[in-house]
Amino acid sequence: MNGLSANVVFEAGFFSSSPVHVALVAGGMVAVMSGVVGVFTVVRGQSFAGHAFSDMDTTGGSAAFLLGVGTLWGFLAVAVAAAGAMELLGVERRRGRDVATGVVLGAALGVAALLLFWDTTVSSTTGATTTILFGSLFTISGATVPATVAFSLAILAAASVSYRPLLFSSLSAEMARVRGVPVRLVGAGFLLMLALAVALSAITVGAILSTALLIGPAATALRLTRRPAAAMGAAAGIGLLGVWSGILVAYDSAQWPGHHGWPASFCVVAVIFVLYLVADLQGWTRAKRTATGQDRMARGG
Amino acid sequence: MTFRPKLLRSLTVGGATFGTAVTLAACSAATSAAPPGKVVAVGAENEYANVISQIGGPYVQVTAIESNPNTDPHTFEASPKVAQVVSAAQLVVQNGVGYDTYMNTIESGSPNPKRKVIDVQDLLGLPEDTANPHLWYDPTTMPAVARAVAADLSKLQPAHAAYFQASATTFVKSLDPWLADIAKVKDTFPGAPVATTEPVGDYMLQAAGTDDLTPWSFSADVMNGVDTTPQDNSFQESLFNQHKVKVFVYNQQVTNSITRLLLSLAHEDHIPVVGVYETMPVPGYDYQSWMEAETTALYQALASGRSTEKL
Repeated sequence: MNGLSANVVFEAGFFSSSPVHVALVAGGMVAVMSGVVGVFTVVRGQSFAGHAFSDMDTTGGSAAFLLGVGTLWGFLAVAVAAAGAMELLGVERRRGRDVATGVVLGAALGVAALLLFWDTTVSSTTGATTTILFGSLFTISGATVPATVAFSLAILAAASVSYRPLLFSSLSAEMARVRGVPVRLVGAGFLLMLALAVALSAITVGAILSTALLIGPAATALRLTRRPAAAMGAAAGIGLLGVWSGILVAYDSAQWPGHHGWPASFCVVAVIFVLYLVADLQGWTRAKRTATGQDRMARGG
Repeated sequence: MTFRPKLLRSLTVGGATFGTAVTLAACSAATSAAPPGKVVAVGAENEYANVISQIGGPYVQVTAIESNPNTDPHTFEASPKVAQVVSAAQLVVQNGVGYDTYMNTIESGSPNPKRKVIDVQDLLGLPEDTANPHLWYDPTTMPAVARAVAADLSKLQPAHAAYFQASATTFVKSLDPWLADIAKVKDTFPGAPVATTEPVGDYMLQAAGTDDLTPWSFSADVMNGVDTTPQDNSFQESLFNQHKVKVFVYNQQVTNSITRLLLSLAHEDHIPVVGVYETMPVPGYDYQSWMEAETTALYQALASGRSTEKL
């Protein structure tokens, strides 16, 4: 009975498949890290910066393909460069510069289009576009796996070391400044952390979808709890659930009739989105219930 | 700009010659008017262009559209210059089976009732749902193409009909050593187990009686540029880890991270590798010598475990 139900949920060979092992480890590690960084990102209101990095990463990944180096290195190089540029130009702080930012991001994607064209016309890089934009979770290989795990752990370590000043300056920059927190330095450090998180997430679900993994679980968690530490734990859990069940669905879908294998990134993002909707709906009904309760009390009083 | 667009390369391709004093006169001047007495011809892939030049000899001027061995023809994008070359052609040979659909688009965009188009799929009477488009690896394909080219050239230049017919006969006969090589593999190593990355060489492997253990879904996914399933990846890895195959037939023009991973796995497990191509590797080969080199490489891999990763 147990064996039967296990076979229904987990198609044959799921636990012995080495591509699945790699995907579970690398994807899971990135999901946990993205959950933590994601909560800071949402609290600081920097979701758009995260999206900007994902656009830039498309260019970096395409360039890496063209140069024949691992996509992760292209993502990371561009992430560091973009974070530095954003910090220097102060794009984040100046309001009303959204048009300039939009134009720059558009140009970056335009360069990516050129690089991807060269990828397919000067070298044999089949499927480069799909891998860069939407990720290839089951084909992560070589040095990318330990590098992904190591960078994720480093970001988690940096986040826990700078937890208090980072959270303080995220919630109220003015108060933090008064208390002697180097707000600008903390902000620059976080921008770098965010850029690297997006780059690592791009390896898992692709450059274009990477913010989904970063923002989705964090936004869902912040609907369940407002306590930052609890939200980070919940976001990490939601991200992990999304990535792992996405991997399972992608694996199982290979056995479904008429099709062979849905992209893992679709499955991951779909699960995360459904969880967000559920949390949203729950929050909405709870708010309505409270409102009706207050209403009744008001009428009764 | 240090990049040379692929088209420039394909237009300046040096023609490989074999036996006869035929040269593949392909240069950007092909877009201008035909030199007197020459038929302007186009081969969508350089293997077809090579056969045209072997049949037409001094009476044709042939251009190959796709000839860069470092790119994947499945992702080829036609440029306005390609359109110019194709619309100026009197004779066109194209593969069909969805491999070079852009040729149909260009041809219908510049209608010319006198232009003769040999669609190899139609010539061989293959259905639309033919799964493997790499027809040139099939030993029965090029004899039919050669005869069709000779017939069309004879209509365009009736004065040289005898020459074209004679070259077609010579060409078909020149395939005998290749056919003998295929028969040798089949007789010496019947049902030899092999793994592939992509279906490019499958027709040759079938003719040589090998047993291709790679799942069709895997090679089709690689060909179509989509992610292979983890199940197929594991299965392919097991073919190497458990030494279930004697040769790994590797498409050098359709590569991605999983094919490269398998290549390094084949190296680790000492499985000999044979590189195969979508377009004829140039310079140094013509169609016959290319096919012979592939079959010889397959034989050597089976006989002595020797790899021929690149031609």
